[in-house]
Amino acid sequence: MEKDLENANPTILSVSELPSRRRKGPDARTGPDAGCDKIVFPRHHWPYGATSSSSDEDEDYAEEPLDEQDIYDLISPISDPEHPHTLGQLSVVRLPDIHITPSPTEVSGPNALVTVRVDLTPTINHCSLATVIGLAVRCRLERTLPPNYRVDVRMKPGSHDQDGQVNKQLGDKERVAAALENDALQAMMNKMLGGCD
Amino acid sequence: MASPSTEPPTADPPGPAAAATSSPDELPRRSPRQQQQQEQQQAQQRTATITPLPPFQPDLYQRAWSSIPHPSLPLLATAHAKSVTVFSLATFTKHSALTGGHSRSVRTAAWQPPRGSNKKRLGLVTGSFDATAGLWSYDVEGERESALEKEVRLRNDSDGSDNDDNGPDEREWEFNLVLEGHENEIKSLAFSPGGQFLATCSRDKSVWIWEDVSPADGDDDADGDWETVAVLNEHDGDVKCVAWCPSHLPGARALAARRRYYSAECLASASYDNTVRIWREDAADGGEWTCVAVLDGHEGTVWQVQWEEAGGQQQQQQQQQQQQQQKQQEKKFPRLMTCSADGTIKVWSLKQDDDDDNDDDGDDKAKGEQGDGQEAGGFGNPFRGIPNTMRRSLREEWECTAVLPQVHTRDVYSIAWSAETGLVASTGSDGVIALYSEEEATEEEEEEEEEEEEETGRAGSSRPKTVWRVLGTVAAGHGPYEINHIAWCKRFDPAAGEGRGKEEMLVTTGDDGVVRPWQVRIR
Repeated sequence: MEKDLENANPTILSVSELPSRRRKGPDARTGPDAGCDKIVFPRHHWPYGATSSSSDEDEDYAEEPLDEQDIYDLISPISDPEHPHTLGQLSVVRLPDIHITPSPTEVSGPNALVTVRVDLTPTINHCSLATVIGLAVRCRLERTLPPNYRVDVRMKPGSHDQDGQVNKQLGDKERVAAALENDALQAMMNKMLGGCD
Repeated sequence: MASPSTEPPTADPPGPAAAATSSPDELPRRSPRQQQQQEQQQAQQRTATITPLPPFQPDLYQRAWSSIPHPSLPLLATAHAKSVTVFSLATFTKHSALTGGHSRSVRTAAWQPPRGSNKKRLGLVTGSFDATAGLWSYDVEGERESALEKEVRLRNDSDGSDNDDNGPDEREWEFNLVLEGHENEIKSLAFSPGGQFLATCSRDKSVWIWEDVSPADGDDDADGDWETVAVLNEHDGDVKCVAWCPSHLPGARALAARRRYYSAECLASASYDNTVRIWREDAADGGEWTCVAVLDGHEGTVWQVQWEEAGGQQQQQQQQQQQQQQKQQEKKFPRLMTCSADGTIKVWSLKQDDDDDNDDDGDDKAKGEQGDGQEAGGFGNPFRGIPNTMRRSLREEWECTAVLPQVHTRDVYSIAWSAETGLVASTGSDGVIALYSEEEATEEEEEEEEEEEEETGRAGSSRPKTVWRVLGTVAAGHGPYEINHIAWCKRFDPAAGEGRGKEEMLVTTGDDGVVRPWQVRIR
């Protein structure tokens, strides 16, 4: 960890500085705060197979629509591959750069698509680990969000030298799937996502 | 409806939702009266109902990438994880499985056309993320079985063992040969129509062409012998899909015969670099494979490329009525269709000089007029002795001649162009299944097309004017999941009744691990 870091002195936010539900005040939410835990630590895996949908699960979908803060809470604890800090602390993930369309409250039924767009801000603009960070974010969201969510992870425009290239890689399902079968990369992902669950 | 109705536009919706979704961006340009006419036309147009049939059993419970139907037998090979499951199209249940051949996910598979030594065996090639392609075979006992007899026998096999995943079926697929050479994941592979060549493509940006050099009279148990005949390196990104031109079609044959320097085989490759490339074997250059055209127009990865395989029953019937048109059609080289991450589906046509359709002299004369001085003359092969780089005549001009009505909102992963009916189906990340047909343009549409051509300076093609219409759509075809692949195949299930072995259905393959057949009815 101490040799040749790409960015030796990143700006680090303390935990109390990170955006959280608490500072939004009571009006910001409609449901109980505890509802959040269910999303961050989902109880069930999303159903596979042709005959999987039961009325139980449908109720779960409808129960508590996700908002940007929920997405932030899912991905901000991901560890940076280089520093002993989280993506939230390094401001790689920022709450205003998370967008959900259409708002899940307007979505009709569990099959209607919801697009989550996350713009990442790499710590320095030639960070070669941008793809790895993006992969971890995409991976985290795909593992936890319901299957009707489509995840678009990008580099914030202008924040990275090759953002076009990185964005295209991160958007390519086939490449992402193949990358996750690479043992070395898989080990790195597990390490980065270790603090999440 | 010969004269415009004097009644106000009816409150009835113009047919099903599908008709309403077709070319919405055309509407604002029309006057209310034109719009009304269009609505009336649409009400008369064909529509399709796409209804789900019982899904193939068992569910795979993991992402499945693609399902490839056998060209004649009632079998379907589905690639998922590190294996391929073969389903019976007669029973919609598992027939057999190919396991243990690959160390990473199998992305795709292709059925091997019967050839020389392997006529009594089923052959399947698998392309994997482990960078290799595997050749597998399955012994079919007894010779000269008709397809129907085989179907019955295969169905019985399946009935006897589909409860046991490690049943005897597993052992009947033999892993014969591994083709190594690619540096990264293989994404797609395809056999040339006669089975002589196999093309594979990979994330390493290359297309490899392998040739079957097994002796024709080789013994049945031979594993086959394959040689690399070309490594094509011109793409700037992953090569996502390869497809061979159906060279048996009259249009392809006619062109190959006319231009002696063309081989019959022609390959198209689609890439992450947003382009499609066309490759031909240059017979005048000792069989060197060269890129003869780059199809540039998509604004995202081109996920799949498909050749037109017209000549099915329906088209033949139409053509019999119009002999003249048939002659025209025969001269036309098969078209290409591509689908892309940019959400669009495009049709591409080879620009054929009128002289192409006449004779050799005209052909060469036209070339001379274009300024390729060294090519004038037209005695024998005018290119003998001319360096490869100067043989510009090998270059082909392809142009985008149609864009299908936009239906999808995200990546279009897969398209299927029926050889039988000419109908096109598409699917992708948005989970929507859409069905399109190419129809004769109305007079009004022809006018518009001409205007557009004048504006863009695009030369009008000599093909009959057609438009693509959406016949029907299905939302959430696999529930909330992405759909990775769509294909046409014949129905062999008992429910098809008299349509067995004739009627076509769609098969979709999704991230939910379900392989789903769909009945298509056109009204």
